[in-house]
Formats: sequence, C-alpha cells, structure tokens
Amino acid sequence: MNIVDVLLPTIVFTVCSLLTVPLLRLVRKTKLDPQHFMVAWITFTFSAAAFSVFRLAKEYFGQSQSVLQISSTDTILAPLSTVFLVDTVSVYMVIAYMVVGSISCLYGVLHTNPNEYLSERYYALLLIVTGTVIAATFSGDLLTLFIFWEATAAGSCFLVVYRKSRESLEAALKYLVMVIIASGFIIYGLSLVYGLTGSLNFWTVKEVLLTTGNTHLLLVAFAFIIAGYAIETAIVPFHMWLPDAYTAAPASASAFLSALVDQGSYYILLRVLLFILTPPAIVDWRLTIAIFSALTMIVGNLFALAQQNVKRMISYVCIADIGYNLIAITSLTSIGLQGNLFFFFVAAMETSLAFMVIGVFNKMGLENFEDLSGMGRKMPLTSFAFVCAALSFSGVPLFAGFIAKYMVFTSVLQSGVAWLALVGVSNSVLQTAYFLRVIHYLYAKAPKDDVDIKEPKKLLVPIYLLVIINIILGIFPALALDLLSTASTALIL
Amino acid sequence: MQTLLIALMLPALAIPVVYGVGKKSAKIAALFLALISLVSLSLLLTLIPTVLNEGQYIESYYWIPTLGSAFTLFVDGISLSLAIVTLILVAAATVYSINYMEEKSSLPEYYALMSLLTIGLVGVFITSNLLLFYFCWELMLVPTYFIIGGWGYRESYNTAFKFFIFTHAGAIFVLLGIGAIYMLTGTLDIFEAQAILATVDPSILNWVLISFTAGFAVKMAIVPLHMWLPDAHGEAPAPMSALLSGVIIGAGGYAVLRIALGTVYSAMMPTGNEFLLVLSFFGVLSAFYGSFLALAETDIKRIIAYSSISHMGYVLFALSLFPVAEGITGGVLHLVNHAASKGLLFLTAGAVMHQTGVRDIREMGGLASKMPLTAIASAIAAFSIGGIPPFACFISEFHIFVGAVTAAGADGSYYLPTVLMLIATVFSLAYVLRYFWKVFLEAPKLKTEVKPIKTEDKDKQKTKNNDPPIFMVISMLALAAFVVILGIYPGLFIDLIHAVTSMG
Repeated sequence: MNIVDVLLPTIVFTVCSLLTVPLLRLVRKTKLDPQHFMVAWITFTFSAAAFSVFRLAKEYFGQSQSVLQISSTDTILAPLSTVFLVDTVSVYMVIAYMVVGSISCLYGVLHTNPNEYLSERYYALLLIVTGTVIAATFSGDLLTLFIFWEATAAGSCFLVVYRKSRESLEAALKYLVMVIIASGFIIYGLSLVYGLTGSLNFWTVKEVLLTTGNTHLLLVAFAFIIAGYAIETAIVPFHMWLPDAYTAAPASASAFLSALVDQGSYYILLRVLLFILTPPAIVDWRLTIAIFSALTMIVGNLFALAQQNVKRMISYVCIADIGYNLIAITSLTSIGLQGNLFFFFVAAMETSLAFMVIGVFNKMGLENFEDLSGMGRKMPLTSFAFVCAALSFSGVPLFAGFIAKYMVFTSVLQSGVAWLALVGVSNSVLQTAYFLRVIHYLYAKAPKDDVDIKEPKKLLVPIYLLVIINIILGIFPALALDLLSTASTALIL
Repeated sequence: MQTLLIALMLPALAIPVVYGVGKKSAKIAALFLALISLVSLSLLLTLIPTVLNEGQYIESYYWIPTLGSAFTLFVDGISLSLAIVTLILVAAATVYSINYMEEKSSLPEYYALMSLLTIGLVGVFITSNLLLFYFCWELMLVPTYFIIGGWGYRESYNTAFKFFIFTHAGAIFVLLGIGAIYMLTGTLDIFEAQAILATVDPSILNWVLISFTAGFAVKMAIVPLHMWLPDAHGEAPAPMSALLSGVIIGAGGYAVLRIALGTVYSAMMPTGNEFLLVLSFFGVLSAFYGSFLALAETDIKRIIAYSSISHMGYVLFALSLFPVAEGITGGVLHLVNHAASKGLLFLTAGAVMHQTGVRDIREMGGLASKMPLTAIASAIAAFSIGGIPPFACFISEFHIFVGAVTAAGADGSYYLPTVLMLIATVFSLAYVLRYFWKVFLEAPKLKTEVKPIKTEDKDKQKTKNNDPPIFMVISMLALAAFVVILGIYPGLFIDLIHAVTSMG
C-alpha cells in the first residue's frame, strides 16, 4: 500500500470538485436538466470514492497488522515526512463519512436549485470538504492533520456564507475568526512539539512523551493543541460560533457540516487525546474532560430548551452531543470507545436528518415552533421523519441513538464515574422533554391557516434513506459493532 | 420451532398490512389485527405443556455479541400466563376499538400503532435478555404516547407528555441498572447474570437494586411516583386505558419481580430484608392512597385509574413477601386477574361514556336497565376488582394474604403491613360498590340522555336497549367470560405460576 492508495478517495473528490464548476456551467447551456446532471455527478463521485475506499479497506483487512503507517518518504521518522495511518478506526470513520456524506450531498443538490447563480461553487465545496475530512481522518502526523483540517474549516466557512444574508455573513465571520484563533493555538503548540521532539509523527511524539522524564513543556504544547481543537469541536465554553453558523447556513450545509465536519473534529480530538496523550501513563486528563463534558451537555441542553427557532435548537443539540461523546472518551474502556465511534456515526445521521427535515420546513417558510403547529397532518411524511430523529436523539429503542447512548452510559459506569452517568442520564431526560415539545407542536396544535402545503417528494428521498439506515442500525447494531470490536484494541496502545 | 419468535414478530409483520388495509376499511384492519393477536395467542398456548413439564422454554438467536446480548426469548409459567392475558386483552381492545373509534380520524395510524404496541407488550414478558427487554419496555411507551396524544380526551398531548417524561425518566434508571449489570457480569442474560452477581459485593448491588426498583415503580405507579397515572388513564381512549391499566403497569410489577427481586435481590440474599419491608410499606401506602382517592373522585375513568394505583399496591405488597411462594404466586396471579378485570372495567366505562357522553358519575344513574349487557359485564369486572368471591381477584388476594401470614410467622415485622393491607381491602370494596351504584343502579338523573342506537328499525328503538354497538358488546362479553373463568377455574394459571415460585 502506498500513499496514493490512501489519498485516492481525497484525490477523487478533489478532481471531481474541480470539474463540477465547468461541467455544470456547460450543462446549463444544454437542454439537460442541471438537477438531474448534479444527482448523477454526485452519485458518480461518491461511487468512485467508495470504490477506492473499498479497495483500501480490502487491502487493510487482507493483512495482519492492526495499524498501517504509510509515509511519503522511505523512513517514517524523517522530519516532517507526511505520514498516514490506516487502522480499523480510521477506515470505519471514513465509511461513516461516505454514507452520511453521500446522502447529505444528495440532499444539498435537491435542496438548492442548480440553476441558481454560483450554486456550482457550493457543490464543489461540498465535494472538496468531504475529501479533506477523509484525508484528515487518515493522517498520521500532527502537521498533515493540521493542514487538512484547516482546509476543511476554510471550506466550511464558505458553505455557511452561501446565502450571503446579513446573518450568514456575520456567522461566517465569527466562525472564521474562531478557526483562525484555533489554528493559531494549534500551530503554536505544534512548533513547540517539533522543537522539543524533532518530529510531529504520532508515534515518535508519543515515544518521547513516554521516555522523557520532564514532559512539562511538551504538555503545555499539547494544552495549546487540545485547546485549538476544542474550539473547532465547540466544547463549552468555546461553543459560541456553532449555533450562529449552523442557523445561518443553508439547511443542506448545516446537515452536511454537522454530519462530517462536526464528527470529524470530535474524531481528531479523540485521536490526539487517546492516541498521543494516552492516560494514565502520560497525563491523566480524565477528570478535566469529564468536567468539560458535563458542562457541555448541560449548557447545550439548557440552551436548546430555551430556543424558539427549531434550527437553532438542533444546533444546540449538536453541542450537547459533543458532551455525550466526551463522556465516552473519559471512560477509557473498550465499550466506551466502541460506543464513541458508534455515536459518531449515529450523531452524524441524527443531526443531518434533523437539519434536512428542518430544511424542508424552512422551504415552506416555517421556522419557529409556532409555525410548525399542526404540520403533523399537513406534512405527514416530513413530520414523521422529524419524530424519528427526535426519538433517536432521546435514546428510544428501535433507533440507533439508543444503542449509542446505552454504550456511552454503560462505559462510564464501568469506569466508576457514577456522577457523570447521572448527569448524562438527567440530560437525556431533559433532551426528551424539549423534543416532545416540538412533537407537541407538530401534532397537538391546530394549524394556523388552511393553506394546502405540498410536501416536496424529491427531498424526502435522502431523508428516508437516513431514517431507514438509522432504524436498521438500531435493531441490528452488530452490523457496525462487529467491525468496531477490533478497533478498540487498535486505539489503546 | 421458532414459536416465540413468530408469536413476537407477527404483529410487526402485520403493521404494513394493517396500515394498508386501514386506508380502505378500518374495520377489516382491526379484525385482522385481532386475528393476528389470537394467532400469537394460540402459538403461546401450544407452549403450555412444555412449560408445565420442563419449567421453561427458551429460544436464542444471534443479535449483538459485542454487547453480550443474544436475542433470547424465554417463557416460564409466570411470563407465559402474563403474555397470554396480554394477548387476550389486546384482541378485546382491538375489536372494541372498531365501534368505539369509528368516528375518529386517521384510524390506519391508530391500528398500526396498536400492532407496534403489541410487540412491546408481549416482548416485555417473553425475553430473558435485558437489552431486548429494554427495547420492548420503551416500545410500550412510544406508541402509547402517540395513541393518548392523538386520540385521547381534553388536553391529550399534555397528558401524553407527562406520561412520556415520567416513564421515560423511570426507564433511564432501568437503563442505568442494566448498564451496571453488564459492567458487573459482562452478560445481559438475567439467568447468567444472576449466577455471577452472587459473587459480587452486596453493597454495590444495593444501588443496582434501588435503581431498578425505582425505575419500575414509576411504571407501576407506586405512590409517590404515581402522578402520571390518573391523567394518562383518564384521558386515554378506553381501549388504550384498558391496555395501560391492565398490561403496562402490570409489566412494571412483573419487572420488579423478575429483574429487581429475581435477578439482583436473589443474588444478594440473605442481606437486605429491610428493603423488602420498605417495599411492603410503599405497597400499603399505594393501596390506601388509591382507594381513598377513588372514593372521593367523581370522574368515571379517574375512579378506575385510582383503583389501579391501589391494586398495584397489593401487587407490590405481595412481591415484598419474596421469596414466600404463596405470596409471589398471589402477586403474579393478581397481575393476571387485575389485568383482565381492570381491562374489562375500563372497556365498560368507555361504553358508558360512548353512549351517554357524560363522564361525571353524579350525572349518571339507572343505566342498568338501559344498558343491561354493559351492566352485566361491568358488574363482573367491578365485583372482581372489589375482591368478592367467587370472582377472579378474590382468589389472588386470598393467596397474597396466605403468603403474608406465612411471612409474618417467619418475620414478625410483617404483621403490621399485613393487618393494614387487610383494612385496605375494605376500602377497595367500598369504592367499587359506590361506583357501581352511582353509575348503574341509582335513580336516573334528568341530565343523562342515552344515545339511541343508530338503526332504522323502529321496533328496536322501542325496546330501549341502549347497549353500545355490536363489536363493543362482543369484546366486553368475551372478556367478562374470561374473568368469570379466571374466578371459578383459576387452576391453570395457578399451576403455571406456582411451578415457578415454588422453585424459588
């Protein structure tokens, strides 16, 4: 396996993304329906990428090593050599991105009109961001990770600003400033690490941390790196940008961002925290992260409770989800890690499902709870999809969200931090409460006027794809968990 | 043979059919669903000989090995008898719905939700895997929420919301307990877990036990966790009330016995007797509280709802006699009898409301002559609930008190709750007699007007028989016959249950 194999999905996405702009402009001049063309194009891109991921996975599972290091130079330890790592965790994450990414890109094409001026750039950005997220997931040294992640963040900013309204400009600016601050932190930490260890490779840095007696300065450097990634992950108190960004972005962009970029950033945090700063040997960050996790859950859920705008509420739910993920990280158990990785996939599905449904509502001009009154009868299919998302968020069985939450709570009990389990559980009840409130508006209130609303049938296709995947994974979680049972051994070194 | 799997999955396979057919004719959909539940029921009945001879019957399928879970379906005497009564009640409630719900809208959804609910109701009783149990446990909750909300009375969604939050919060505590069991034993099968738990430090098990019991007690509506019950039972449509009061809260009692006591507590015996004594006092408290409020209440359905709280108190008291065989037999038998009788009582109350449009019992009276068949069914149900021999609940209450006296003989501290419980039965009888008198026997009030039956036939109208339409009558009478059989021939269920309890 060489470096091209690993980068092939990213290359596919980049090339296709670059081709999107001229091709779509060409198609507009012909008689072809641009929307049909874009659906075909997205399908083609994702199938090509899926094929390359499949090749990679086949090669990885065909050999016996649990972690593959692939370097651009002959010796892995050459300074600043670009290293990629392929293990069960990264392969799993990429598969998850591919599944949710393809559906949310499809939704993006159906939701925004391809005849619109400059919409080709939006689609190109969707594809290229997918590519960079995948590359970041495979990266095996801190610099490669940083480069691809910044590319992702930059792309995301432009997705947010697509509508060019006042709010979206403000939100994108806020996001951009946060990203720049975060990258400042990260690059400062990286320079310290490089100066102290002479490498940015995950394994080398870890080796130095384990063998050197005095690691104080290195840990300070990592504090910067973690803080940087915490900003991009939107851990409370660094979360302010997220609700603005996701509310102002077009619904399809929010669905895409919450599925890929959000989950990708947790994944990176998990990599750095577990892979390099492995507790308790190097530094015991468990209590600190546990406190942040409790804080994130509480703040996310309380603010979600206070919202009137549905989209903003879901944005806060995204924050609360980060809290649940962090719970699992702190447990350091095999079930916690599996739960965490499963949660990434499930949260990606849930949040993008919720944003997609809200996108449909928004298209009808419905934004607040009041507007949703009585929509359960007028838009039965859309409302039902929202109910599925809400029940999955609340952790009700038959939906994958339950298995994810169950594993997270069990893992934290297993590690003996009962107070965190209690905080998590009470938050879960709170979450159920505000989701029921939306369901209440949908079904219990009478609609405000008698205008007939037609559900956009096309948009329901990607939405119901997600609902079905969610339910299948909820009833047969073994489909994903069997893959993950080897993953936990790969992560705990 | 995959008897149990088929019995459990039939309602799931029926959902698309029910929904599709329901679009054309809700009546056929309902009859189809009733038929499905009767098929499931007969599948379960074929297992009776196996269970009587071998004690239990197990099927196991591949599910989630990483979480220590196989898809294990299991019945022994206790779970089989509860599953049987559940399916009978489901069939009766579905047939009853044909007429009761016919003026409501979106019936296809209603029957689809009913079949989804059936999986949960049956599944809770026939699995020995905790994760699968929890699946079914929540599956009882979600369709109920939508049924109460969508087709209930008055502020139905607010009531449904209260119901959902209360029981979901309870369920989360159950989930914590399940997580703790997995953490301690690495398996989620209750029998394997019990063996391993015996080696675990009892001080941890105490917390697991409390977490489970608190979670189940919410569903069981034990005072002070009962607040959701009167509203939910009162506002739900009558068939749903029957299932709620008959099966869903009974499932709470079953879970306390099977999981909290049978799995966790039996692993930590003989420590923790105080815990059982506390349970018995909560049982007594619920029994009194429920009876007093039922005596004071004037809303026809809320009376029955409060009576459910009182009867769950009886069950909890019986379970607190663990492991005295007569007590547990009585408790489980009471779950069976109470399910049938209370289900019937709710159906008759629904029939009264359907025909008169009134729910305040002060405005009723004299209905016995106008609705004779309803009155007969109601009398059977009410006398059973009141514990009058030879009706069903008398037998189980008798068992409970035999058990209580045995337990008191061994441990003197049980005398006080036993005596208090005996006093509570007097109040139970009192509210039942008041209810029956006010609704059916007392001189009619002017306000009450009974809906004439919808028929062109003038002669029939003259007879002044205002019993509800045919399907409601059929389901009520069938269920009434079942209650009578339970009362005069309780042998089968006692044999089934006693086979388990006598083994300890």
